[in-house]
Amino acid sequence: MEIDFCAELEQDVRFKEGLKACMNCGICTAICPAAELYNYDPRSIITSVQLRNNLQIKELLQSETIWYCGQCMSCKTRCPRGNTPGFIIQTLRKLSQQYGYFTHSEKGRQQYAIKKTVGENVLKKGYCVHPDLVSYDMHEEQGPIWEWVQQHKQAIYDRLGANLDKEGAGALRKIHKKNLDELQAIFDVTNGTELYTIIEEESKKQAERMNLGFSDNIDNEYFKHVYTYNSNTHSE
Amino acid sequence: MDTAIHTEKETWGTYQKHVADDNYYYARSCIRQNFFPASEYMFLHILRKVLGKHVYDDPNHTTCTGIGYHSDIVPFETIQTVVARHFALMTEAGLENIAISCVTSFGIYTEILETWQHFPEQLEKTREFLYKATKREFNLPKNIAHTSDIIYKFRHEIAEKAVYKLVHAQTGEPLNVVEHIGCHYAKMFPTKGIGGAEFPQVLSGMITAWGGKVIDYPERRHCCGFGFRNYLVQANRGYSVSNTYKKLESMQPYNPDFILTNCPGCAMFIDKWQYTIAEMEQKTFDSQGKGIPVLTYEELAALVLGIQPWDVGLQIHQIQSESLLDALGIPYDTALKYVDKQGNQLPLPNKPNNLLQ
Amino acid sequence: MIDVLIIGGGIAGIETACSLQELGLETLVLEKEKQIGGHLNNWDTLFPTKRSASEILEYYAEQIRKKSITIYLNTTVTSIRKQDDGSFEVHTSREVSFKSKTVVMAHGFSLFNAQRKEEYGYKIYENVITSADLEQTFKQNNDVFVNPMGKIPERVAFIHCVGSRDEKSGNHYCSKVCCITAVKQAIKVKQLSPQTQVFCFYMDLRLYGRGFEEMYREAQEKWGVQFIRGRLSEVAENIDGSLQLKAEDTLAARPFKMSVDMLVLMVGFEANKSTALFHNSCGVACSESRFIQPRHHHLSANATNIDGLFTAGTSIAPLSVFDTLNHAKAAAFAIHSYITK
Repeated sequence: MEIDFCAELEQDVRFKEGLKACMNCGICTAICPAAELYNYDPRSIITSVQLRNNLQIKELLQSETIWYCGQCMSCKTRCPRGNTPGFIIQTLRKLSQQYGYFTHSEKGRQQYAIKKTVGENVLKKGYCVHPDLVSYDMHEEQGPIWEWVQQHKQAIYDRLGANLDKEGAGALRKIHKKNLDELQAIFDVTNGTELYTIIEEESKKQAERMNLGFSDNIDNEYFKHVYTYNSNTHSE
Repeated sequence: MDTAIHTEKETWGTYQKHVADDNYYYARSCIRQNFFPASEYMFLHILRKVLGKHVYDDPNHTTCTGIGYHSDIVPFETIQTVVARHFALMTEAGLENIAISCVTSFGIYTEILETWQHFPEQLEKTREFLYKATKREFNLPKNIAHTSDIIYKFRHEIAEKAVYKLVHAQTGEPLNVVEHIGCHYAKMFPTKGIGGAEFPQVLSGMITAWGGKVIDYPERRHCCGFGFRNYLVQANRGYSVSNTYKKLESMQPYNPDFILTNCPGCAMFIDKWQYTIAEMEQKTFDSQGKGIPVLTYEELAALVLGIQPWDVGLQIHQIQSESLLDALGIPYDTALKYVDKQGNQLPLPNKPNNLLQ
Repeated sequence: MIDVLIIGGGIAGIETACSLQELGLETLVLEKEKQIGGHLNNWDTLFPTKRSASEILEYYAEQIRKKSITIYLNTTVTSIRKQDDGSFEVHTSREVSFKSKTVVMAHGFSLFNAQRKEEYGYKIYENVITSADLEQTFKQNNDVFVNPMGKIPERVAFIHCVGSRDEKSGNHYCSKVCCITAVKQAIKVKQLSPQTQVFCFYMDLRLYGRGFEEMYREAQEKWGVQFIRGRLSEVAENIDGSLQLKAEDTLAARPFKMSVDMLVLMVGFEANKSTALFHNSCGVACSESRFIQPRHHHLSANATNIDGLFTAGTSIAPLSVFDTLNHAKAAAFAIHSYITK
């Protein structure tokens, strides 16, 4: 049975907010940082979606194209019709993951890497980003001072007025379990947990298709691959 | 050209934004806590001790999950409910004004409140979700401000108490300052940013009030390139560094003395990418090969108020600030740069190969 | 009591007065400026003929003399009130007020203030001007065509739809005449400065009128004007005062940056401030565009929701000189019918 992607998009409140009607003026693409660097044109994506053709939308959901946007929302500031291509991208990415199409593309497969790092951190620690997460070997671009911070975390964060991993108030405090439990409960009732599960399961299937090792923890072949691989075909 | 003066006259009237003047709930920033912890410490210090304001630093506050939301691993319903939980914490604490440290968060809170206005059924659904998950209920906040809005609001009071001005100590000439506004501050809802989206006032107002000169340059409004998934995944980082490269190249002819930004991510990226570019391409965008220092507005406010640079946290920037401190006539003790809280010397960090420190 | 009181001494008001005089009715024209002619005083040439705007003004000055039309200059209308007997009382900035059987609102339009489009840099960057500014420059009839910094421009760009078709400016409508004006001005720039490259950035080319499409073709074939289908997103100033434009060439699906020495913003029409004033004082209906709403778009385009209150010209919508004069003549006929019934 064919999926009516248009109908699903129209249910999404961000779709209603993001697309009124596009007149193809190009003002969004003109200002878009991703359009400068990638094979990416937000105007084309919007007019494509506007055509309400389910086959074309399915192709988009399986493509690299929808994963280039950096969510800066510069498009929203300028659009003379009040549209927001950045919101439409979010709705497309949501459907792409929901239907497992994200594993069809190199950039889409990276959702697994984001889920394993930021995603799990949110529930484990209550932060999107934590010094334990930004390890120097995965982030050499951070430079030697960050390496030094990583090596002397407690001392340095103490010095700078933080409360690293300790109880009470302050920067980088240990978030109390009762708060983490509430976050988990929120994820459970709002289908956040379901999305994490889909990402894991679909990625596991993809790892099998690609003959790459997969495991529950971050230290697996598939993770390393999606985290680092770039075919260098994205800017032709 | 003098952006600050022009827009005060022509557009300020259109983009007036009300910022509450006391009794804030502090919503901390994941990135600012990680990379600029002293900035958050200084924000609380300046508000409480210097300005005499009340700020509640709630240990139960968590991430808003904004980075996860904009990387599309966190559904919209989830983040609405997480934010609602924070509103419930505020309601419990009897507070109506929120002071948000992260610019992505500021964008999220603003976007969610707008959505609830246009789609009240989303608000109702969120109330149900939150109650089901946590038994909590909430009132909507009365005032949403980014913490830079608050420092902007009190910029004249800070100027009065300031010990240093943003001028060259030797000549009295104002420093050239590039201001960089985080995308999610005003691009999404121009009326929610002081001065609107094209010529935001929040940082240029501070710079001008504290004696500096604001520099306009062609790529001023360009995104720093964080791009969420475009940084989080190593394979995509070329996007991120390219955007910052574009901005640095564009500002170079105008000889900025430093860069000021209100978004913690932008501050981190524009600092760290200068290191990366220097290592990869043997190139910096200043005349000395040391890079252009990048400051958060809390760091700048603390410095002009006379707080010691290593308390302000400048030592964990990759681009070193000593040349800037020298220009401003702000003294510092190099012996105290890499010590711990008790004053004990820590092992020194390594030096980059190309970027001079 | 006068038969017809006409608010506005621009070409709409004057033409209505002249036509009414021929139909045997007594009129009085109130004009807020110190001369008649309205916006036409500021224009160099008119499309599609490229003839001087002053030709029209001289014609009407002669008609006013021949027909002895009464005009009060320096007189601003402050309110219009309909009386119980169906007549009108009109108050002005002068001590005197007027009573008339009918009133014609011919008070015209305002140009969009380009400063509101901050990202285009008008009055921020020196080399950004509006189409109105350029028309003034043409009227000065200088020998050499230079940009505001005094340099002969290598590249000039015209930006269509400034303040029109734009939710962000608060104006959803199309201002109709800016496309042909851009074509006209682009040709003039090429005539004055053949070595200058001229670009028009458009979304759609709305060249609907008699002679318009032909002028577009002339601009391309004879003068080499380049047309790029893409709306300008942002203007920045380079260190030498030239301007960096960001747009997408939508037909090639490529974003690009272009440096120009001069930027001309095709500013659109907005409802005159007096329109809101009249709406408040007598309840005349306005459209969503904030212009006055005609009683019936097709069948009663000069009447309003108030009997005896008429319109002529751009108080109802953006119009060309051609449309305005026709609308004004039609107004005279409608008023005559109303009064003699």
